[in-house]
Amino acid sequence: MKDMRQEFADTLLEVGRADNKLVVLVGDISHFKLIPFANACPGRYYNIGICEQTIVNMAAGLSIAGFYPVVHTISPFIVERAYEQIKLDYSYQCLSANIITVGSAFDYSTLGCSHHCYTDFALLKPLQNTQIFFPSSPTELNILFKNSYNNGMINYFRVPKLSHGLDFPGLIEPGKAVVVHPGRDISIIVTGPQLRTAMAASSILKARSISAEVIYVHTIKPLDVRVVTESLNKTRRAIVVEEHSMYGGLGDDVVRTSLNTVNIKFDFISIPDRFIRDYGSYEDICEVAGFTEENIVEKADKLVRMP
Amino acid sequence: MTANKELRKKIVDVVCMAGEGHIPSAFSIIDIVACLYGNVLKVDPKCPDWKQRDYFILSKGHGCAALYVVLEKHGFITRKDLDNKSKRGGILGGHPDRTKVPGAEASTGSLGHGIVTALGIALGLRIKKFTNRVFALAGDGECNEGSVWETALVASNLKLGNLCFIIDNNGSAAQVLPMNDFKKKWESFGWEAYEVNGHDPDELITVFDKLKFEYEGQPKVIIANTVKGKGVSFLETHGIWHYKVPDDNERKMIYKELDQ
Repeated sequence: MKDMRQEFADTLLEVGRADNKLVVLVGDISHFKLIPFANACPGRYYNIGICEQTIVNMAAGLSIAGFYPVVHTISPFIVERAYEQIKLDYSYQCLSANIITVGSAFDYSTLGCSHHCYTDFALLKPLQNTQIFFPSSPTELNILFKNSYNNGMINYFRVPKLSHGLDFPGLIEPGKAVVVHPGRDISIIVTGPQLRTAMAASSILKARSISAEVIYVHTIKPLDVRVVTESLNKTRRAIVVEEHSMYGGLGDDVVRTSLNTVNIKFDFISIPDRFIRDYGSYEDICEVAGFTEENIVEKADKLVRMP
Repeated sequence: MTANKELRKKIVDVVCMAGEGHIPSAFSIIDIVACLYGNVLKVDPKCPDWKQRDYFILSKGHGCAALYVVLEKHGFITRKDLDNKSKRGGILGGHPDRTKVPGAEASTGSLGHGIVTALGIALGLRIKKFTNRVFALAGDGECNEGSVWETALVASNLKLGNLCFIIDNNGSAAQVLPMNDFKKKWESFGWEAYEVNGHDPDELITVFDKLKFEYEGQPKVIIANTVKGKGVSFLETHGIWHYKVPDDNERKMIYKELDQ
């Protein structure tokens, strides 16, 4: 499967060639990947420099001038550092933008907490006019971007380093969750590359005669409430797996879909209320934070035994 | 001799009616804003979104009473709009909202945003090869913000010759974090810088006439030396009058000084 960062560059090139309103601003990353875009779309690519608040804010000016801006750098440097710019220069002023970040939650696993971002869903969800995507395969990134970039909204794309490795032909569209594997005993609701872990866990559970329904969510906002609710009404048990803080992420929204429904049991695998101070590979951090098939299986096993 | 006395009186009226507002900040910039709309900007009140218009952003949004009275004078908004400032159902607030105010190109309030938006508009117009010009007015205190200097670097690096900032240099920064050698600072960032008396309409017109706007070239900055509260002795301070509404007696005193 293609490298995610390469797909990001290829998708921008594809859209940029077809639509001369697409303008790309980067904060001195992905520069070499975007040289084909710069060559194919003269005057519409700018490596502005290391000044994220200005990059985000000036793109609002491009939006006023009638363009579809794309701003791009590592997640925390846009979402956390330039949060007020997103809030005031886009959301408040009803302007549109495409924010495409890399680094995801802890893809920069060796670089420490300055390069991690576990708060993006929680921060961006409350802002009016935002859509939040976590496309975790090249095809998804391509489809979700092409179907959203000119929709007048603030589209946030959290692009992970790793793909989940699956394809869902004809099933990817903004705002629609995918039922990857039907089941009856428990719902595993998962976003991002952790789909791979969830699928492995569902196989182990199957061997234990526990039928897990795996729901894959690439659009965090708006959440596909129908698919989630139907699954919860069937299984009455759910684990939400997300590389995000335990506060304000997908888990909160899944619970919200069932607030007035009795006897649905939930558990979560997310990032606890502390910084991940460990170093190592992405897989090492997954293990430290509990993103393992064993953890999913253990929690699922407990949930299905609950009365 | 104070210019724009009637506009200053109207600012006082608007703030008194609203029960809130920044009179000294508005008095500081009123001569600049009046000059821009009266002599410089190509705009059409009947069609605020006219494609060939010049753009003006009031980055120091708290001075908006000055913008509002000038917009009303030129027919963008009505006297009734002014009377309803900061009231339920009104379109004018304590900072301009572009989604409500005809002629307001950006919503401002938090300092260090409007000028960056202006930078983006200037780049967008250049990509389109349009000749519209972009102006933004910021305060010297606002220039404490890091985004101002990021913008100074980026605009110069991009050679945005269609961009002009005006700095309302009323000494607010000097109270806390002084911006010494202001003109030199901008010049060292690659800007074509001018310094004028920001209360002298003739000096302002002369400097605006001098500017040569172009697709590629140096961005321009005019350091407009001003007095906060200009025109009324007891407002010319950096103290309590920053956000104070005059009572009836104080309002009469302001009028009296302006009439002298």
